[in-house]
Amino acid sequence: METAPESWQAMTPSLAPSISARIRERVSQIETLPTIPTIFLPLLNLLNLPLDQVKVDDVVKLVSYDNTIAAQCLRMASSPLFGLAKAPESIKAAVISLGLRRVQTILLTCSVGRGFAVKEWKINPTVFWKHSLGCAMVCRRLSDKLASADGEKAYMAGLLHDIGILVNCMVFPKEFAAAMEHASREQITLEEAELRSMGFCHCDTGAALAQTWHIADDMIQAIAHHHRPEHSPAAQPLVALVHLSDLLCRVRNLGYGYYERQRVDMVHDPAWEILANEYRALHHMDLVRFTFELDEAIDEISGLVETIFGGASVAV
Amino acid sequence: MTTGAQAATAAPQARSAASIDPLYRQIRDLVYKVSGIYKTEEKLYLLAGGCERRMKQTGSKTPREYWDHLTLHPSRDGELRQLLNEITIGETCLFRSQPQLDALRKVILPEMAADKTRQILKKLRIWSAGCSTGEEAYTLAMNMLEESAGILKGWTVEVLGTDLNDRSIETANAGIYGDYALRCTSEHYKRKYFLPAEQNKLEVRPEVKKLVSFSRLNFQDDSRMLFMKSMDLIFCCNVLIYFDRASKSKVVDHFFTNLNYGGYFFLGTSESLLNLNDKFHLVHFPGAIAYWKPPLKVGKP
Ligand SMILES: C[S@@+](CC[C@H](N)C(=O)[O-])C[C@H]1O[C@@H](n2cnc3c(N)ncnc32)[C@H](O)[C@@H]1O
Ligand SMILES: [Fe+2]
Ligand SMILES: [Fe+2]
Repeated sequence: METAPESWQAMTPSLAPSISARIRERVSQIETLPTIPTIFLPLLNLLNLPLDQVKVDDVVKLVSYDNTIAAQCLRMASSPLFGLAKAPESIKAAVISLGLRRVQTILLTCSVGRGFAVKEWKINPTVFWKHSLGCAMVCRRLSDKLASADGEKAYMAGLLHDIGILVNCMVFPKEFAAAMEHASREQITLEEAELRSMGFCHCDTGAALAQTWHIADDMIQAIAHHHRPEHSPAAQPLVALVHLSDLLCRVRNLGYGYYERQRVDMVHDPAWEILANEYRALHHMDLVRFTFELDEAIDEISGLVETIFGGASVAV
Repeated sequence: MTTGAQAATAAPQARSAASIDPLYRQIRDLVYKVSGIYKTEEKLYLLAGGCERRMKQTGSKTPREYWDHLTLHPSRDGELRQLLNEITIGETCLFRSQPQLDALRKVILPEMAADKTRQILKKLRIWSAGCSTGEEAYTLAMNMLEESAGILKGWTVEVLGTDLNDRSIETANAGIYGDYALRCTSEHYKRKYFLPAEQNKLEVRPEVKKLVSFSRLNFQDDSRMLFMKSMDLIFCCNVLIYFDRASKSKVVDHFFTNLNYGGYFFLGTSESLLNLNDKFHLVHFPGAIAYWKPPLKVGKP
């Protein structure tokens, strides 16, 4: 793919054309790297199809290419965070008890780490995956609380929201390392440090990559606008949900591994209003208890990251 | 990060959580609903331990029987109070919540020091409400002293500690603490702000005591509550848990009035206001939750 679709220009209006051209050029090189994710993209695309068009056997077949992923998937399916008390014996059994969508997202989680051949991590990989998986879990729990139908989509959006950080490690390693260093030294937010020193942030590079995947547009919006959901041209409730979940993770020890000097007022964030307009249930949510419940999940999230991303984290 | 020590100790307890009677989760939810204290899964064994001690006292043979005692028995309110005592006892120590102190020094103080109206008086008033034996009040004073050459240069700091219990106030005034109360205090602070006392204990140095004053105060005493004016920070940890909804709501309204605009109200780290007050903004700092009294003109952050 030589050029990103037109719409990407429109999505990031604040970027100078020269910068977005540079991002696109560098991101297009990612595809030429030898380590294209083997099952990640097909799975991601299956997720786009309506449920009645997805066959269980297609999913099982995809997974059977990779024993490790199959094993990790079973481990994850038996986590209390995914709701099974006993480990299922096969992928098929997992599908029967958890549903196809849930198993698809589990599989995606297991393959996403391998999908990215990050040679030089400029952020601690365990920290990064804990943040991503944590955000995914919070997204799903929050959408459950709001009685939203699409918890699995919210989960995926949470898992992938910071994918631009990996893009930065892969194609702008020097610049991103400096931004990361700047952020942790000044204890400011990562996106602020990126914007100050590079002129763009992981939202821009993440969106550029996701555009090449042809995934659902709302997922791309979540990647592109999760720090400013009110600027998103579409899918604002999903973007707002990711935004709030990201903030919550960052103030509960599932952030980027350094102290961010910030006071987060979620209820008065524009994202809260966006979400509340869509889901009345938000008005009755006990945010403090929700926070404590996230604390309870941290150990389990760390354990899952260890199993699933433990191998993938080591730079090759 | 600051909570590394907690993470290290959480693992073995998490393992035992599976073996805990599910009824304790029901009790956990009841305790939360009534008091706002939330015992997370890792701390559930503490709640279970407290229940078991109370079960011995009350002669309940099973968690189920004890549950009935807590919910159906004529003395259920009294029993719940006993249980709350059991699970909060001995929790207090100096430097109990590092994330709260980090929020204070890394986020709140820089914000207050930059505030135009506060810059006129250069004065900070902090209230440790329900201070018991004074640990929190002294901790706050020492942390402010650490900033006295930096961000608080030229500022006056006042820390008030109040409690209902006279004996606790006496102990607080003495400012002498043993190993247990000092278990979270670093060598740096021990050396800088304490003097050796009898029986291997340590006594808070006069320059810290100078910042702090203790007095007796009942939160239910409305007229005296009105006198606690112009606070910048209020800490009220594990005290409101004993109050019913109506009196809790009244005390929290007092706190709101007592605070200056832009001031903060902190509860204990596992405590919640249960959506009791909507004038405060619930705000998150890394690892800490607080309630903020917004400035009169509501501007965009
Ligand atoms: C569990 S202790 C907590 C003490 C300390 N803040 C801490 O966190 O360890 C509860 C304290 O609240 C005080 N208290 C209870 N009711 C009160 C009231 N109505 N007014 C003021 N203090 C009260 C008690 O005397 C006791 O010292
Ligand atoms: Fe981000
Ligand atoms: Fe993030």
